[in-house]
Amino acid sequence: MNTWFIIAQILGVITICFEFASYQIDDKRKYFLVTGIGSFFWATMFVAIGLATGMGTQLSLIIAAIYSTVRNLTFYRIFAKNTPESKETGLRFLLAMIAIALVAGTITVINAPVEVRWLHALGMIMALGFVVGQYLPGVHYVRITVVFYAIVVLLTQTPLNILYGDFRWNIMGILIESAKILSVVVFYIRYAHQPKKPQLQFAKP
Amino acid sequence: MFQIISDSGCDLNAQETTKYNVKIVPFYINFDHEVPLREGVDINNEDYFKRLTSEKGVFPKTSQPSPQDYIDTYKPYLEAGKDIIILTISSKLSGSHNSASLAANILKDEFPTRKIMIIDSLSVSVGQGLILREIIKMRDAGFSIDRTVSTAEKVVKSTRIYFTLDTIEYLKKGGRVGTVTALVGGILGLRPILQLEEGAVSQLDSVRGKKRAMKLIEDAMVDALKDEIKNINIGIGHVLSKDDATSFQVNTETALGIKIANPLTEIGAAIGTHAGPGALGFAYCKKYQCFTTFTKKSEAVA
Repeated sequence: MNTWFIIAQILGVITICFEFASYQIDDKRKYFLVTGIGSFFWATMFVAIGLATGMGTQLSLIIAAIYSTVRNLTFYRIFAKNTPESKETGLRFLLAMIAIALVAGTITVINAPVEVRWLHALGMIMALGFVVGQYLPGVHYVRITVVFYAIVVLLTQTPLNILYGDFRWNIMGILIESAKILSVVVFYIRYAHQPKKPQLQFAKP
Repeated sequence: MFQIISDSGCDLNAQETTKYNVKIVPFYINFDHEVPLREGVDINNEDYFKRLTSEKGVFPKTSQPSPQDYIDTYKPYLEAGKDIIILTISSKLSGSHNSASLAANILKDEFPTRKIMIIDSLSVSVGQGLILREIIKMRDAGFSIDRTVSTAEKVVKSTRIYFTLDTIEYLKKGGRVGTVTALVGGILGLRPILQLEEGAVSQLDSVRGKKRAMKLIEDAMVDALKDEIKNINIGIGHVLSKDDATSFQVNTETALGIKIANPLTEIGAAIGTHAGPGALGFAYCKKYQCFTTFTKKSEAVA
């Protein structure tokens, strides 16, 4: 078996670990750091697959993963610094990223076969919803939006490609998206059994 | 007996300042190209916020009292043989503390036997008001000026103050947040929750939706105070949102099983200009008795 392909599987397992761990974290700042590192390994996994099978097929996935990495780590910077200036800079950057994603997503939708355009459009909406969910305060929005996003990724992308009757058994892809969904489920099971602490915390006098 | 002076950042109303014999040194409010107005003297809160909301494109600025304002305020009391305590708004928010200190230094030689003691509240509005009320109680309990100041400094350290805003518009007008932050925050319906940390404003969190924000704030208040509620004073303030403040007070009282003794505070220009109408402020501090051992029977009942 090709060495790069084996490395890709290892990187995929590391990605799963980080993605799973990230949705167990309450603290937004730490969440972005962990999911950002996960996205980085995700990108390197696609690079390794590209080196094993040819870059041409992986390029768009590599770009998408790098996009996620940069976005997550930018959010991490915003939440870590938490100053008006950092937020303003971060938001400008985020809006630029959203605009780029909208353009890329629209091109993808236009180029897709007519009968499945709606599903690609849904994918784009879920991706944007997830980005907004990441930015919104609290622990719930990001978890709800990531589940919908992961389901659409499972449906539209390589893991369970139902679009063209071309079923590709990409185990790593399925595991990564499933890890996110499973992590959210585990989080809410833990959340339900935890003693309730206020989402906001004020200092004691 | 000493005289208590505060800048108008404490947001005590006129009835209270008269009742408790507290002298207020007003901040200045500067509308574009107009003669500066003294807060609470030349313009009251109602008229001020009416102008703030109705005159589009106008964003007033506030400025601290000058050293001369403080000198003019101190002198009559010093001439009457009184010592004075001055409580100022956080020195990280305004130059009022600096003006008060400069004035004290200028008068030091003229009145060498008198004490002029200045306390930095590291707070503002309802928070500063709570500290001021504790100082009043200590004075009325017969505390010496030195003991009052040392105890008040402990009360200052125990004071916490938070604000929630109805809109980010006024923070943007004041240059406290950027255009994109205000735009995105507005679209997403985010209500920032601000705090004073070590005297400086920072954002604690932001919450979507007014009802949800109020519920989270009530829960956070209860969680922070439930263990020692008998030793705590609470103050609630608002900018043109008395109904919300009343509702918040009732809910907090019910949740904590207490009655909040301090009247609702109308937040003034120093904070209100940046917070805007609809803002709520809430503060708490330890009662001065937590930091002192009683030496006189009269002190114990204060």
